[in-house]
Amino acid sequence: MDESEFLNKIREAVVRGDIDGARETAREAIKAGVPALKLVNAMSSGMVEVGKLLESRVYFVAEVLVSAEAMSQALEVLKPYLSVEEAKKYRGKVMLGTVEGDIHDIGKGIVATLLQTAGFEVVDLGVDVPAERFIEKIREVKPDILGLSSLLTTSLPEIKKIVEKLEVEGLRDKVKVIVGGAAVTKEFAEEAGVDVYCLDAVEAVEICKKYVEVVR
Amino acid sequence: MSCEADEWMSPRKRFLSAVLGGRVDRPAAGSATSVATVEQMEQTGCFFPEAHYIPEKIAGLASAAYEIIGFDCIMPYFSVWLEAAALGCLVNWGDKYRMPDGVSREGLGVTDPSQFRVPEDFLYKPTTSALLEAIEILRGRYPNVAIVGKTMGPWTLCLHILGVKRTLIWSKIRRELLKEWIKLLKEVSIEFAKAQVKAGADAICWPDHATGDLVSAETYREFLLEVHREAVRRVGAPLILHICGDTVDRLPYIRETGFDCFHFDSKCGDPLKVRVIAGDKISLMGNINNPKTLLYGKPEDVMMEAKHALEAGVNIVGPECAIPTRVANENLKAIVKAAKQFKTR
Repeated sequence: MDESEFLNKIREAVVRGDIDGARETAREAIKAGVPALKLVNAMSSGMVEVGKLLESRVYFVAEVLVSAEAMSQALEVLKPYLSVEEAKKYRGKVMLGTVEGDIHDIGKGIVATLLQTAGFEVVDLGVDVPAERFIEKIREVKPDILGLSSLLTTSLPEIKKIVEKLEVEGLRDKVKVIVGGAAVTKEFAEEAGVDVYCLDAVEAVEICKKYVEVVR
Repeated sequence: MSCEADEWMSPRKRFLSAVLGGRVDRPAAGSATSVATVEQMEQTGCFFPEAHYIPEKIAGLASAAYEIIGFDCIMPYFSVWLEAAALGCLVNWGDKYRMPDGVSREGLGVTDPSQFRVPEDFLYKPTTSALLEAIEILRGRYPNVAIVGKTMGPWTLCLHILGVKRTLIWSKIRRELLKEWIKLLKEVSIEFAKAQVKAGADAICWPDHATGDLVSAETYREFLLEVHREAVRRVGAPLILHICGDTVDRLPYIRETGFDCFHFDSKCGDPLKVRVIAGDKISLMGNINNPKTLLYGKPEDVMMEAKHALEAGVNIVGPECAIPTRVANENLKAIVKAAKQFKTR
């Protein structure tokens, strides 16, 4: 099997959610001398395809999670073969939290899983997070991106409050703010002054990847 | 609450007739999920979180649906956590604005069904027994109003006991193990439903969140279709299935379950489309939008949406799902007004 066949095989294993297949292909490809970073990129391209399948409702969140698990397990095999520099090429830091007044974390948990699979460092502040805590942790952790989740319409005003507080504290230009969750709409996101509205977890990951590529 | 001249059915008869797809004097109004609001808590003096687990508080707040809003039914189970708490899950019970939620994303932390036992005194645990007692209180106080109980289906119980991520991944790669869990937890759902019927409930809402936002229609068919058919055979009372989100693709399966009624979400789109797919095999309940219409809309917006649902053939008009607690009573009353103005014959 040549390099392009390995890359194709691992990409397909991720798209199909074949956990054993992805892990085994990663092992075989490394033995055959395929660069680990190329394998990671092939799997990332597979996750983009998974996102498209989710969008067209061929896939659902369950299938996306299995694909993410396939990629995650293959990554464990590849990690020792990635240099620190290579690892940095596809990594950013994302801070996530469900805003104060809301204790839902299904959607946020799925975003966290997919971001970790895509190589991001995720700092999850949990649910019902007050604006003050977001500010405090942004100063401490210095994330590239802040992801806010809100499932309840009653907690939407909190998103506006956080963006305003970021401005007052002089942190607004230090962090990209993305939002998602059942209660959030694109119109609301624009009105609240956040940078990007994410329709679903896969889109959130793609947005984070693009943003990190632009700033580095 | 007095009957209007052309209303000859009691709320109980109207609601049950509508659930079973029969004739009614006018469309029923109500919901199989929570309609509790902060306004109602202040009017009744029964607040969350006590109204999740103290029988008198539960009954007091639930009665507002009839006494204050004018709905045809009273549904006293406001959260989705009573069984999970009785099975050992730690629950954060929230406050008057916040609904309860599980403390751990991993559920109970058990994965092997043989390591898990349903407690013999499941029906006597604080949360489950409180609901049963509340139903008895309500049955005694409201002989002419429909009392709707609620039991979480085994899929929803898996989400709580096993955790969401594990349940979803297992639905793809450890199917037989997940089926074992569903088989085990189905008994919890059915026994709790039967106990509520015995306590006086007229009908049972069965939420089972196999929604299009999480899994495919095929997953619904594979894991739940037969389980739901069995529930219909065994519970011995009218059953109302509730699934949030977009469920249009699994409606052809849902209508074959034998459930008497389906409580559906505005994410399904035009209720006329839902009625066409559902055919006449199943009654429909819902589907007024919560975040836009009920929370931020005006009573006239609510009435317009309610009228549209009724024209489409929705049998019981009401919110799509548990409402945000800040919804105004005025908007809920507009649903009843729309139902009263709608001529069925």
